[in-house]
Amino acid sequence: MDGVTLRFGGLMALAGLDLRVEEGEILGLIGPNGAGTTSAFNLVTGVYAPGEGDIRLAGQSTVGLLPHELASRGIARTFQNIRLFGSLSVLDNVRVAVASRQHGGFWNALWRGRAFHAGERAAEVEAMDLLSLFGLERQSATLASGLPYGDQRRLELARAPALRPRLLLLDAPAAGMNPTEKAALAELIRFIRQKFQLAVLLVEHDMPVVMGLCERIVVLDHGVKIAEGTPAQVRVHPQVIEAYLGAEPAHA
Amino acid sequence: MSGAGGKRWLCAAVMAALALQWCAVRWDFNRYYLGVAVDAGINVILAVSLNLINGHTGQFSLGHAGFMAVGGYTAAKLTLVLGGGCPSWAQPALFLGGLLCGGMLAALVGLAVGLPTLRLRGDYLAIVTLGFGEIIRVVFQNSEFFGAATGLTGIPNWTHLGWTCGFAALTVYAILSVVDSTYGRGFPAVRDNEVAAAASGINPVRYKVSAFVVGAFFAGVAGGLYAHHKTVLNPTGFDFLKSIDIVVMVILGGMGRTAGVVAAAVLLTLLPELLRGFAEYRMILYALLIILLMLLRPQGLFNFGPSTRA
Repeated sequence: MDGVTLRFGGLMALAGLDLRVEEGEILGLIGPNGAGTTSAFNLVTGVYAPGEGDIRLAGQSTVGLLPHELASRGIARTFQNIRLFGSLSVLDNVRVAVASRQHGGFWNALWRGRAFHAGERAAEVEAMDLLSLFGLERQSATLASGLPYGDQRRLELARAPALRPRLLLLDAPAAGMNPTEKAALAELIRFIRQKFQLAVLLVEHDMPVVMGLCERIVVLDHGVKIAEGTPAQVRVHPQVIEAYLGAEPAHA
Repeated sequence: MSGAGGKRWLCAAVMAALALQWCAVRWDFNRYYLGVAVDAGINVILAVSLNLINGHTGQFSLGHAGFMAVGGYTAAKLTLVLGGGCPSWAQPALFLGGLLCGGMLAALVGLAVGLPTLRLRGDYLAIVTLGFGEIIRVVFQNSEFFGAATGLTGIPNWTHLGWTCGFAALTVYAILSVVDSTYGRGFPAVRDNEVAAAASGINPVRYKVSAFVVGAFFAGVAGGLYAHHKTVLNPTGFDFLKSIDIVVMVILGGMGRTAGVVAAAVLLTLLPELLRGFAEYRMILYALLIILLMLLRPQGLFNFGPSTRA
């Protein structure tokens, strides 16, 4: 992301933001409410188009691509307010994402030839594998809307790698979790990164999670980058403490 | 529904439809009952195809009668123009061709309606599709070529039970096999959460437009069958009340439940006929029964489990 600016009318949501996620790293993007973290997310996933600047994925500009095109090019995300396909089974939630990479579609489904059945089986196997990685294989037949909160979060995390992404964006994944669950989540995110060889961009308001998990952190305030560096550097950065963490330094 | 089993089931159903037609001719079934059965079959096609748009994909289309009119007028006009010099052995081919042409033209109109309405949802989409259905009707009403307000008359009575049940089976098969696939689960995915669907690599626009195009195609075929069943076409037959009738079938059957929608389509065709004994109170009773059914089974007549299949 290079010099990206996003305006809503007269409001400058992001002003000339430069952001770079290296391959395989976990980058934290933090900032107080309204700092522009979610806007940055929406730019990367194609929900908004930047007014100025360029967004590139592996060297290629992604400006102007629609969310589903970005998803199929390797950008997966989860949402702050969990977004699942409530009336579909847990298995189908992952399976549709797997199938979005397959070709054929409508006519194949209508004709039901050999290629169709092979594709269906492959998608099911891959989706079941993902579910068992995330410990959801026993619930594969339940409706997504019937899952308890923690499982819904995990299902959303299980759906993302189905796209075979290079970059995974996590929007406040620890929201509403207790300390034990947060520790498990951090473990899970590390595991995903390692297992699927992807980079993670994490927006999170829970400082212990961010500090413990991220290799690098970028701090935004009022749409401007005010600090960047390792957790240790960011934690003692005077501007960060002033803008975001208050008078006291954060406890990691 | 497994794949090969599905295709075998379709063949069996079409065979059964043709056998039924043969029996109907052989033993000279009561024409009134046959007529009602054809009506039921046509309504099944309409309701099941609308279910793809309104049920599976979660859009609210009130324009199904419009698609039906496009298909009906196209097929009827083709028959009237080409049917005169047509030897009797070629009639089924002409009829089939007319039905498919009608379906395809309706699908084209479905595409035209589907694209601009994509930004709308819920009530707004309903209003736009309603307006579109009325536009189609008014166009036919004012077009001399299509007989203006009198409509088309003298359409040969080619639609028999075999055609109707055959196409009803084809519709059910097509919609079920598309929906019951990983590709087809994109339809409820878009319905449940469009943003998440896009983030999962599903193109919501393509799914929504596909639903409109496929739904309109079958509505067009149903229109052609209807034209060759009633033998007269008249624009008032395709007003928005017809669209609402079809929507009621879908809601009563349970949004997204094909089996329920088929049953509801048959039930709602039979109900007014069974109530004929009550003469002028018929439509009041019909309306009351629908209200009663809605109160007793708001989730749809045949909606028993949490499954989204079938």
